[in-house]
Amino acid sequence: MRNTLEVMVEGIWRQGEGNLAVRLTAPDGAALPGWSPGAHIDVHLPGGLVRQYSLTGNPASRRGYLICVARDPDSRGGSRYIHESLRPGQRLTISTPRNLFPLEKADRVVLMAAGIGITPLYAMARRLEDAGVPFTLHYYVRHPEQAAFRYQLGHPFRFGDCTIYHSSAGESPRHALPEALTRPATGTRLYLCGPDGFMDHVRQSALTRGWSPENIHSEAFQPPAPSAPASSDNAFTVTLASTGQRWPVAADQTIARVLLDNGIDVPLSCEMGICGACLTPVTEGTVDHRDSVQSAAEKSGPRQQVALCCSRSLTENLTISLAP
Amino acid sequence: MKAHRPTPPAHCSFDPEDWLRLARCWHPVARACDVDNKPHKAVLLDEPLVLYRINGQAVVARDVCPHRGVPLTLGFHDEAGIICPYHGLRFGEDGRCNRIPASPDQPIPAKLNLMTFPVEERYGLVWTCLAPDTDNPAPLPTMPRWHDAAFQQINCPPFDVNGFAGRQVEGFLDVAHFAWVHSATFADPDNSQVPDYSPQETDYGFTADYWSTVSNYPSGAEDRAPPDFRWLRRFEMHLPFTATLTVHFPGEDRLVIMNAASPVSARKTRMFAPIARNFDLHIPVGEVHAFNLRVFEEDRLMVETQRPEKLPLDLTLEAHIPADRSSIAYRRGLKKMGFGEFFLV
Ligand code: FES
Ligand code: FES
Ligand SMILES: [Fe+2]
Repeated sequence: MRNTLEVMVEGIWRQGEGNLAVRLTAPDGAALPGWSPGAHIDVHLPGGLVRQYSLTGNPASRRGYLICVARDPDSRGGSRYIHESLRPGQRLTISTPRNLFPLEKADRVVLMAAGIGITPLYAMARRLEDAGVPFTLHYYVRHPEQAAFRYQLGHPFRFGDCTIYHSSAGESPRHALPEALTRPATGTRLYLCGPDGFMDHVRQSALTRGWSPENIHSEAFQPPAPSAPASSDNAFTVTLASTGQRWPVAADQTIARVLLDNGIDVPLSCEMGICGACLTPVTEGTVDHRDSVQSAAEKSGPRQQVALCCSRSLTENLTISLAP
Repeated sequence: MKAHRPTPPAHCSFDPEDWLRLARCWHPVARACDVDNKPHKAVLLDEPLVLYRINGQAVVARDVCPHRGVPLTLGFHDEAGIICPYHGLRFGEDGRCNRIPASPDQPIPAKLNLMTFPVEERYGLVWTCLAPDTDNPAPLPTMPRWHDAAFQQINCPPFDVNGFAGRQVEGFLDVAHFAWVHSATFADPDNSQVPDYSPQETDYGFTADYWSTVSNYPSGAEDRAPPDFRWLRRFEMHLPFTATLTVHFPGEDRLVIMNAASPVSARKTRMFAPIARNFDLHIPVGEVHAFNLRVFEEDRLMVETQRPEKLPLDLTLEAHIPADRSSIAYRRGLKKMGFGEFFLV
């Protein structure tokens, strides 16, 4: 399991239309583990949601972690929570930074971002500037107002150049690919971040212009890891609301196993928390949800149900209304 | 359109409560290009329908003449409407009776109008709704890219399946059967593993982004994807029976297939498949029809022989594997709409 950290929301501010920058610091002001451009953290949000966000800003700064989150109109979870409910002073659990998208040694670097894909690339630009590696940053947004870090990117870099393209003005990546893309060289690397369609298009365009695939980098897509029950969990008791019968559930047992062993019929199918066959209403206690079938809203909603095949309890007892 | 108190038709093959729930939703009943002025037959939720056009406007009505109950689909048409073959009553715009040959000078009572249903033409299909809920109207499914100027629209001929629409749609969402059922058309029998994916709930159902290395180029055709290309298949499920699949080909090439299953009865389904794509535009549409027909034909034996024929919404009644996350989301979504055991007889 990855290490987690408790952090506090130090500040939230607008960073271009539709985006919020969030600064996270240790509650006691201690230094957070260092990171390198391209790194991301997992942010645990209420209701069991876990979202990955790239760290951005100046990687040399130890003032805390900065992330920038676009409001996704289709969001049912992460970005919506951050935009509507997250407040300064609130505590959050995050993972320590992990980098699946590191900067590699290069003579020159081409950075291409679209939309909120700017976050890791902005950090890369800062690092390249500090290291004196020549770079160009090409940043595509629909309207000028949507650009994040517009102010910072508007200042001249010594080693790099930044151009912001506006698709509303006809400068979409389809029509306005930078000249830098036409000059592949063994020492030149290309970093991409943005929507899949954008990355596909730029990657294909680069390949047809003679770039070698090893010089093109983007963050590896990671499907959400299925939640695996941890083995070190605490024991608790399960109580049947109907009869008041109560049994201990040891750390290495599931609720379903305990009920079956005691002759209680349990509706089961997948036995791995994906189908919902065993969902049972909870009348008392707090569920430690381990299933991946219920939505975040259901897991944090008022009418709690527990997946008997995999979930556990955060309270010493869990009372369920399963027919005896 | 007048309000009717919706009632399940005689010999209805659905549970009456389920029928009412389904009748509140929009379902496709024909390709728009197949409906002209002549009476055209369709059956939706066991209800026989007549479809025709008048001044370009499509009309969908019960296929029952209000006079003595002869089906209008036995009739014919003239410039002013469709004509019942028994006594010649004629029905025009909005299903209104506009001629009684036996008493030409008499005013026409409302009782002689056809019982019509609302009509929407979208994605080249005629959609209707048998029991619209005016307070809480059902949304019509949406299809990505259909209206995009760079995309070609193709509408495959309808495909009849002797099975329940829910089973057919679940099969469309099922990514684990590609390697087993579709290796003659596009899939690879040696690439049967299903990478993890997770459906996301939406207002209309759910979406699922499924990434894999299963190519979508027809088997035997040149595979134009770079090695190890990761294909994205985005499914959008509009409950209860319409799903779209957007296949992300290399570069900007996209193929969108709508699987709009029309529940003719609990045991019969008429599948409509509008397609939008922005590549291979020179290839004759006939070839696209033929390819899709082959793919759907490959599914037929499975969908028509599954038992129970109906879709058990009680998840303990079948076994589930991680590849089934979309099927599980589908059944949960139907259950949330209120369908009970869902047609489990
Ligand atoms: S048996 Fe499938 S979620 Fe528990
Ligand atoms: S039954 Fe139709 S006109 Fe008489
Ligand atoms: Fe299939």
